[in-house]
Amino acid sequence: MSTHSSLRKDLRKLIANTKGFSSVIGTTFMVLVMLVLATSIFLWTLSQNTEYFQSVKEKNQLEVDRLNEKLSAENVNYTASDDVVSVEVDLKNEGPLSVHLTTLWVLDTTIRKYGFNDTLNINLQPGEKLSIKGTEAIKVVIENADNTHVFSSWFITTRGNAVPLGKERGIIVAQLAQGIGSLALDFYNFKYFNYESATKLKNYPSGNIGFTVPASTYVAFGCLLTNLDPEKRTIVFDSHSLLWVIVPTSDVPHSTWWYIVNVAQDGSINATYSPISLAYGETKMIIFASASDLGSSSFSRQKTPAAGLSAPVFLLLHGDIGSTAYGQNLPFVALYFA
Amino acid sequence: MNLKKARKRLHERCAISAVISNVILAGAVITVSFVVLFWAQYRSSAYNEQYSEAMNADIAKLKERLAFEYVFYDKANLTVYLLNCGTIDNVTVQTVYIYFSGNGTLVKVFSSPTLTYFNDTQIADQDLDRGEEGCFVLSPLSLETGVNYSVRVITGRGSTFEYTFIT
Repeated sequence: MSTHSSLRKDLRKLIANTKGFSSVIGTTFMVLVMLVLATSIFLWTLSQNTEYFQSVKEKNQLEVDRLNEKLSAENVNYTASDDVVSVEVDLKNEGPLSVHLTTLWVLDTTIRKYGFNDTLNINLQPGEKLSIKGTEAIKVVIENADNTHVFSSWFITTRGNAVPLGKERGIIVAQLAQGIGSLALDFYNFKYFNYESATKLKNYPSGNIGFTVPASTYVAFGCLLTNLDPEKRTIVFDSHSLLWVIVPTSDVPHSTWWYIVNVAQDGSINATYSPISLAYGETKMIIFASASDLGSSSFSRQKTPAAGLSAPVFLLLHGDIGSTAYGQNLPFVALYFA
Repeated sequence: MNLKKARKRLHERCAISAVISNVILAGAVITVSFVVLFWAQYRSSAYNEQYSEAMNADIAKLKERLAFEYVFYDKANLTVYLLNCGTIDNVTVQTVYIYFSGNGTLVKVFSSPTLTYFNDTQIADQDLDRGEEGCFVLSPLSLETGVNYSVRVITGRGSTFEYTFIT
């Protein structure tokens, strides 16, 4: 009891004693100031660091996206005319991200001049293929560029990648030489067609691939021709072009010929002939069906020779190459009539 | 009776001086504390500002990215074609260094080259915004043919971009 009352007395004395009051206030204030400042600086620094790391993350993501961009540009073809280089190319987006192409650069390595087309707006989704050919070819102005020059080119994407275009399709000497000419024949796709009616081919354009042809039958022949002119000119066939078959196994060789014709999508043969053009690098199936030159006569079918005969075939191609006249004889195919 | 007590208290000088001294002391402490608080806040906001500036500069630098579309050297002129493929506008070209890429020997330094569009029109604000293409010509520059050189572009924000080419 006495202890309790003495404690109460001491407490009352302590409360009544005002000495050191200011120190208490001062200390409290200092602690508050330190707390407020430390907390605000800590939180603010934290937010700044978060912002910085967010930027680092975004930057890394951009780098990853840039590295993941995968675009292939193949089957490139350059055609120069009047200081304008037309670039034909097959594009394929092989990456997981869409690719946007902004600029195409072309360098004429022969004369060390370059040009660009920065008006492209090509967008390719993942897996998408795009063939830029013919009138859609990308045009780039390079002074004094010529078809015989060597070009290299590359696309620029919006992510800043440079996509080099694959090498131009090379021409093998065996395919083409001064001694052979500018046209190449696809030997393994030599076809013949039976008739559905007097002026309509059966099973067009698939036909029958092979070198044994029904004898004494009305047929037409189809040849896949490619223009591989080293000067990249367009070849135009006139009505005098024909497929010539010679039967040598008799005292006097006998000949049969099939003149060039125009065939519609459904296999119908046109009564008249309009010249067929073949651009550089282009492959077309040319049909030979008429017994007479459609430039001067009307269409009539041609029959194959009698059975049991072997015969060489010659393609006599006539027309223009660029602005000059052209003629080429393509041999090599042999047929057996059964 | 109460009036008497009050009058007595008023005349007690010792007690009054203790109260006054306490009030003055407490007031002084509070004043000094507030001064310290404001000073510390001022200092911390100055630090915040500095830190913020440094951080924002770093973030802007991170967002910068220049792609070299083509570098072409001909007749003492080196033309550098650039694309801003970063995520920030107003990328300026501050300094350009040309050096041998083999041994790193410096060939020449150019400051603030004039930026033009690809069609040779001068870029009015002399910077590249996002997705914008531009080029500059460094001249005169004498480079040996068939040698590997590097061009290093330093932007106004301090980012560095480099490209190696053969003359």
